Amino acid sequence: MGLSDLMSMAKPNIEARDKILARIGGKELVNCFQCIKCTSGCTALKLLELKPHEIIKLVNLGFVDELPSSDIIWTCVTCLKCVQRCPQKASPYHVIIALRNLAVEKEAKVPEGYLKAVSQILETGQVDTYQKIVTRKMETVDRECLKLPKICPPKESFQVVFMKAMEEKTT
Amino acid sequence: MTRIGVYVCHCGLNIAGVVDVEKVAEYAKTLPDVVVSEHYTYMCSEPGQRMIQEGIRNKKLDRIVIATCSPRMHEETFRRAVAEAGLNPYLTEIVNLREQVSWAHTHEPEKATEKAKALVRMGVARSRLLEPLEKRRVSVEKSVLVVGGGIAGIQASLDLANAGFPVYLVEKAPSIGGRMAQLDKTFPTLDCSACILTPKMVDVAKNPNITMLTNAEVTDVKGFVGNYEATILKKPRYVDEKRCVGCELCAQVCPVKVPDRFNENLTQKRAISIYSPHAVPNIAIINPGYCLRLKYNKGVCGKCQEACEAKAINFEQQPETIQVKVGGVVLAVGSEVFNALQMTELGYGRFKNVISNIEFERISDASGPTGGKILSPKNGKTPKTVVFIQCVGSRDKRFHEYCCRVGCMVTLKQAILAREKIHENVKIYVCYIDMRAFGKGYDEFYRRARDMDIDFIAGLPSEIHESPDGSLYFDVYDKGTNKLLQIRTDLVVLGTGLVPNEDLADISALLHASRSADGFLLEAHPKLKPLESAVAGVFLAGACQGPKDIPDTVAQASGAAAKALDLLSHGEIELEPLKAIVDEDLCSGCKICTSICPFLAIEMKTDIIEGKERARAEVIEAVCQGCGLCSSACPTGAIKIQQYNNKQVMTQVEAALAETCAEGGK
Repeated sequence: MGLSDLMSMAKPNIEARDKILARIGGKELVNCFQCIKCTSGCTALKLLELKPHEIIKLVNLGFVDELPSSDIIWTCVTCLKCVQRCPQKASPYHVIIALRNLAVEKEAKVPEGYLKAVSQILETGQVDTYQKIVTRKMETVDRECLKLPKICPPKESFQVVFMKAMEEKTT
Repeated sequence: MTRIGVYVCHCGLNIAGVVDVEKVAEYAKTLPDVVVSEHYTYMCSEPGQRMIQEGIRNKKLDRIVIATCSPRMHEETFRRAVAEAGLNPYLTEIVNLREQVSWAHTHEPEKATEKAKALVRMGVARSRLLEPLEKRRVSVEKSVLVVGGGIAGIQASLDLANAGFPVYLVEKAPSIGGRMAQLDKTFPTLDCSACILTPKMVDVAKNPNITMLTNAEVTDVKGFVGNYEATILKKPRYVDEKRCVGCELCAQVCPVKVPDRFNENLTQKRAISIYSPHAVPNIAIINPGYCLRLKYNKGVCGKCQEACEAKAINFEQQPETIQVKVGGVVLAVGSEVFNALQMTELGYGRFKNVISNIEFERISDASGPTGGKILSPKNGKTPKTVVFIQCVGSRDKRFHEYCCRVGCMVTLKQAILAREKIHENVKIYVCYIDMRAFGKGYDEFYRRARDMDIDFIAGLPSEIHESPDGSLYFDVYDKGTNKLLQIRTDLVVLGTGLVPNEDLADISALLHASRSADGFLLEAHPKLKPLESAVAGVFLAGACQGPKDIPDTVAQASGAAAKALDLLSHGEIELEPLKAIVDEDLCSGCKICTSICPFLAIEMKTDIIEGKERARAEVIEAVCQGCGLCSSACPTGAIKIQQYNNKQVMTQVEAALAETCAEGGK
C-alpha cells in the first residue's frame, strides 16, 4: 500500500517526517506548491547542488530517512532568500535547520567545518579568528596597530553556558 | 395550548455523521408541548417537506421547529412548505445543527449531540412565543442604476434597456469601455478587442433607455430594495457636451503634456484631449490638474478656446449633482491590475524593459504608443527574446493569495501575439507554476502556443538583474529538465493579476455590500446566489466580485441584469415582516435610534400631550430592514424587533441555561 520510491525501493517514513514537522511547528512551513522560486534563487545551488524545493517535497511525501545523513543539508548558507521570496510563506531554511539538528541527534556525520566552528567558539568565544589584513597600499595591519582593544579569551563559565544553550536549542 | 412539531434532519451524513439524530428526536419528545418529533435523511427534500405538511394537517401542529442546516440555506424553503399546509410561515423556527454543531464539533460526537439537544430545547422554548406575521408589499421603482461602464456595466445596461427599463449608467472615467477597451486581442479566439467592444459602446450611447453619465461618481445611496435614491456627482469636463464634435483641434494647440492614463502612462497627451481613440462619448475633456488656465489663473493660455470652432470650451463649468430614483443597483466597478512595484525582486519600475501585461497590451495595440509594434521600452528596438513570468502578485501570500484566473490565458495570448508580430526571429519563454487553461477552447489555445515554438519553463525566477548594456538576465530552475537555466532577454512581461478596485471600500460602505477576505465584493451565496450581494436589490457583475475573464464577465453581467429584471417586472415586491416597532409609552425621545439606524428608517415625531411637547420615534415601515440595531441601543427598551423581541430571546436564553437532561425527564 501507499507510496514506494522505485529507484531505491524506499517507503515513506511518516514517523520520522512527523518528528521533523514537530520541530518546525506543523505543516505551515512545508506548505509548498512547487513554484521553484527557492531553487531558482538558491545561493548554494550553483556551487553545491542544494535544491530547497526537493527537500520540501521529500518531507511532504515522507521520504526523509536519507536526509539527515545527506551532505546537501549542510550546504545551505542560510542566506534566507528562499524564505523571503516564497509566495506561500513556506521555509526550506527552517526544514534544513531541523534536519541538521536531527543529524546531530542521530550522530550522523557532521562536516568538519561545522565542528571546527563549534570548537573555535568554545576556545575563543569568536566565530572566526581575527586575522591580519593587507590594505590597498599593501600594508599589513592587525588589531594592535589599529589600536583596537585586545580580545580576551572567554571566561570559564562561558563554555558551560554555551553547551547548555546548544543542548536546549537542539532538543 | 400550543402543539409543537420537531423535525430533525440528517442532511445525509452532514449532521447524522456526528450528531446522534435519533437521540435528539427522542429527547425532543420529552419537551413540553411537543406533539410530534421525527427525523429524516433530507428534511428539505419533497418527502421531508411532506412530513412537515402532514404533521400540520393531521396532528394540528401550530408551531414547527426544524433542526437542520443554517437558516440562510433553507429557511425560505421550509416557510413555503409550512405556508402551503395552511400555517403562518413565521411560526417556523430553524435550529442550526449543521454549521453550528456537526461541522463545528466533528471530533466530539457525544458533546455535539448534547449541544444539539440544548439548541433544540432553546428552539422549542422560543417557538411557543412566535407570532404570526404578514409580509409587507411595497412598490418598485422601474429603473436601474448601473455603476461602472466596463464590459460588465455595458452588457448589463444593454440587457436592461432592451427589456424596456430606464438605466442610469455611471462611469468614473471620461469614456465607457473600461479595461476591455485597453486590450489588443482577446483569448482564445484572438478577436480584436476594439472590434467587438466598440459597437456595444456605441449601442449604449444610442439607446434611448440609457442615460450615460461619464466622468461621474455615485456619492450617496439611500433607501431599500425597489426604492433606492442615488446621488450622482458629475464632475466638470470644462467642455460643453452638446457642442463638442470631437475634432480634437483643441488638443493640437494645447501646450501642456500630461501622462496618458489610457496608455498606462507609457505616452503623453495634451491637457485637453479625448480619453481614448474609441471614446464614447467622443468628447474632449480638460484635465484641471494640468491645464494652465484652470490651475493658475484666468488670464493665461486659453488657446483651446480660440481654436474650438464649435465654441464648446467652458472654463466656468461646475460640478453637477444628479438625483435618480431606481429599483435596483448593478455594481460593475471592475478590478485593477496588480502594481508590480510592490514585488521588488522582479525589478519592475527599476528596469525599463520589465513591463506589466497591461502595458504589453497597450504596446501591442494598433492605437497604442508604438502603433502595434512590439519594441523594448529601453532602446526602442525589436526584442530578440521575450520572457513572460506568471503569477506576479497572485497566488502569493505576501500580496494576494487567490489565483488571478486570467493571467495564464493573458500570457498565452501575448506570447502568441509576440510570435505573430516579431515572427521567427524571437525566442519566447514562459516561466510558470501551473498553466491554468480551464475554459472553453482554452487548453486548445495552450496547444496552439506550444505549436508556435513558445517554450514553457516550469519554474519561476527568484530575481531579475540588469546588465550594463540594459539587457536583463536571471536564473530559473526548470522542473522538467532539472537544470538551472540562465535566460538573457531584452523584454520581460510580468503576468500581473487582477486586484480589488480601490473604490470598493467606498462603494461597499455606500451600499452596505460586504467584501470577502480577498477584498472583492461578496456574493450572497458562493454557489446558489453568485449574482446578488447580501443587500436586497444590489446585484454584482464582473470582476468587482472576483477576478474574471471577458466571457465570464459578460455572462455574469447578463445574469445580474436578469436578476434586476426579475425585481422590476412585478412592480411590487414582498418584504420580510421582521421590522422594528416602537412602544410609544416607553419612548423617551432620546434619538439614539435615529442616529444609529443604517437605513435612516426612524423619524422623530412631536406630539402635544396634556399641553406639553413630546418627541417620540416612529419607524418608516417600508424602509426598516429589521437589523435590530435600534432595539439593542434603546435605553428604555421601547423598540422591539418582531420575531426577535426581548421575551422571545430571554426565553431562549433561559432554555439554554436549564440543566441538560441526558435521558428524558422534564
